[in-house]
Amino acid sequence: ISGLFRNVVGGKKLTKDDLVKPLKAMEDHLLNKNVAREAAVQLCQSVETELIGSKTATFTSMDTTIRAAMNTALIKILTPTTSLDLLRVVEATRKSRPFVISIVGVNGVGKSTNLSKLAFFFLQNQYRVLIAAGDTFRSGAVEQLRVHVRNLKELTKREGGEVDIFERGYGKDAANIAKDAVQFAAEQHYDVVLIDTAGRRHNDTRLMSSLEKFAKLAQPDKIFMVGEALVGTDSVAQARNFNDSFGPGRGLDGFVVSKCDTVGDMVGTLVSMVFATGIPIVFLGVGQHYSDLRGFSVAWAVQLLMS
Amino acid sequence: MVLQDLGRRINGALNDLTRSQNLDEKAFDGMVKEICNALVESDVNIKLVASLRTSIKRSVDFKELGPGVNKKRVIQKAVFDELVKLVDPHAEPFKPKKGKSNVIMFVGLQGAGKTTTCTKLARWYQARGFKACLVCADTFRAGAFDQLKQNATKAKIPYFGSLTQTDPVQVAREGVDKFKKERFEIIIVDTSGRHRQEQDLFDEMVQIQQAVRPDQTIMVLDASIGQQAEAQSRAFKETADFGAIVITKTDGAAAGGGAISAVAATHTPIVFIGTGEHQYDLERFQPNSFISKLLGMGDMQGLVDH
Ligand SMILES: Nc1nc2c(ncn2[C@@H]2O[C@H](COP(=O)(O)OP(=O)(O)OP(=O)(O)O)[C@@H](O)[C@H]2O)c(=O)[nH]1
Ligand SMILES: Nc1nc2c(ncn2[C@@H]2O[C@H](COP(=O)(O)OP(=O)(O)OP(=O)(O)O)[C@@H](O)[C@H]2O)c(=O)[nH]1
Ligand SMILES: [Mg+2]
Ligand SMILES: [Mg+2]
Repeated sequence: ISGLFRNVVGGKKLTKDDLVKPLKAMEDHLLNKNVAREAAVQLCQSVETELIGSKTATFTSMDTTIRAAMNTALIKILTPTTSLDLLRVVEATRKSRPFVISIVGVNGVGKSTNLSKLAFFFLQNQYRVLIAAGDTFRSGAVEQLRVHVRNLKELTKREGGEVDIFERGYGKDAANIAKDAVQFAAEQHYDVVLIDTAGRRHNDTRLMSSLEKFAKLAQPDKIFMVGEALVGTDSVAQARNFNDSFGPGRGLDGFVVSKCDTVGDMVGTLVSMVFATGIPIVFLGVGQHYSDLRGFSVAWAVQLLMS
Repeated sequence: MVLQDLGRRINGALNDLTRSQNLDEKAFDGMVKEICNALVESDVNIKLVASLRTSIKRSVDFKELGPGVNKKRVIQKAVFDELVKLVDPHAEPFKPKKGKSNVIMFVGLQGAGKTTTCTKLARWYQARGFKACLVCADTFRAGAFDQLKQNATKAKIPYFGSLTQTDPVQVAREGVDKFKKERFEIIIVDTSGRHRQEQDLFDEMVQIQQAVRPDQTIMVLDASIGQQAEAQSRAFKETADFGAIVITKTDGAAAGGGAISAVAATHTPIVFIGTGEHQYDLERFQPNSFISKLLGMGDMQGLVDH
């Protein structure tokens, strides 16, 4: 965006009028990065509030001033308020019971693939992992996980990785399978249970309401939603509706944003999802292989958003 | 349905304008702005929105409009024309012929809905008297062949694939050759998901295409895609020169503007939309009736030039 608002305003007290044009350009910039309009408008409003009446430093252009303010606003919105060190929390429970994570999200976003990447991550840290095939609807969903488990066994065999699948075929109730899987894992002393679920539209009330029973029976320690970086405005409603679907007192614990490798610097979905819910991003999916899972870096995201 | 909210807002903006006391330039600007915001919120590419804004403004020149002119009509027509342009590339999609082998290859981003749509389309043609079959050339994704196999079995459609062969080009060639010999009329080839940032994946797509020489290549796009739609669809167009688009997951809440922007970016028609996860959830797409429905204006048909 540099060059859009070059006018130097050093030492001037900024008014609403001064800000209209450059903020519109900033809004367009964010929209272009695939930030949902709702989020972009609110971010620009917060920058406006911040800057009206403030004095710009000498020799500082409007461009620099607005960029700096937006930079700060983005860091603020994206930085989690609590830290989530997954390995530490797993370590804390493993002596008494398995740590249960379930993965939810709309169709085709990358739930099963990123669940397998999570399994790989835990295997590399020498945990015993059980994968529960909770998608009993989509054709090939069970076989897909079987292949992943076979590959992961092969990959981590030498380091002593242990991973198995818990499956009950198709057509059965996912909540009951999840419950049985957790019980089985406790008996067999697995450290981590990863529960896959079927993709569902967030506007499908029947499928969404079944998530409440699912959470009740599976009692997951963490519920992660996979959202994909390719999605536009819908990411806001996806995040909100999934967060609201687990019944009173239960929400999402984090996002895994997948397919970040397919969007270049258009990483606005990250902002939209956090904006909608205040829930932190825990991991990024950056490819189709087991090692393509990254922790979330606020600095990295903000740099792409402002480039 | 996709774009329903957008339709409501555009209609609302048009009605507000024509109901306002002074149908002047300021009110008109306000309406254009509201329509553009609605388009942006529907994920229409923002450069497209900007050019649409310019076009609408240019075609309704207030200084030129005489007192006798029905301003409401002029403005409605301008908006309608621009929206139709967005989804109607005026290109005719390929029509398969009976009695010969028509090869259709699916391409698209990861998870867009290719495999699901392949079966839907095969079943669609089968129901219309074609001898249809499926070839699984996705040797990458875990469980891809099982997925296709289970769908095909449910829909009673013959299929070909391999659990051991890892080269998709090889499987695609074998499958298509086999079915051509058996005189199948619709041979649909499913491929892995891919994206423009990975050149190897694009090269592979070209190799599969060279091996099966499709009569039609179809790009499958998820209705929820955002601003990346243009760049991705353009890249697929340049590399695979697809001749039709299918938009999936239109039963979702997404407005579909991103996928629709792909039409404008590639001058390629949408031929079908996916409306659910089941094998019958496929509908034909007609741009004009789509926009009319979208705008809730039966009478708008009369405004279109042909
Ligand atoms: N490029 C890229 N592709 C990904 C990523 N994560 C997943 N995918 C691909 O996205 C496609 C769909 O992934 P799945 O894991 O099957 O998605 P899902 O959400 O489980 O799908 P359903 O169970 O059908 O709802 C596959 O082709 C994956 O390889 C990622 O981070 N980057
Ligand atoms: N609601 C809904 N879901 C759909 C539709 N079409 C496909 N899906 C779902 O979207 C998910 C992904 O579909 P696939 O057919 O596996 O997608 P793909 O493009 O073959 O994925 P890759 O081969 O991994 O690239 C599955 O859960 C499908 O059931 C649709 O029209 N509506
Ligand atoms: Mg899955
Ligand atoms: Mg597929």
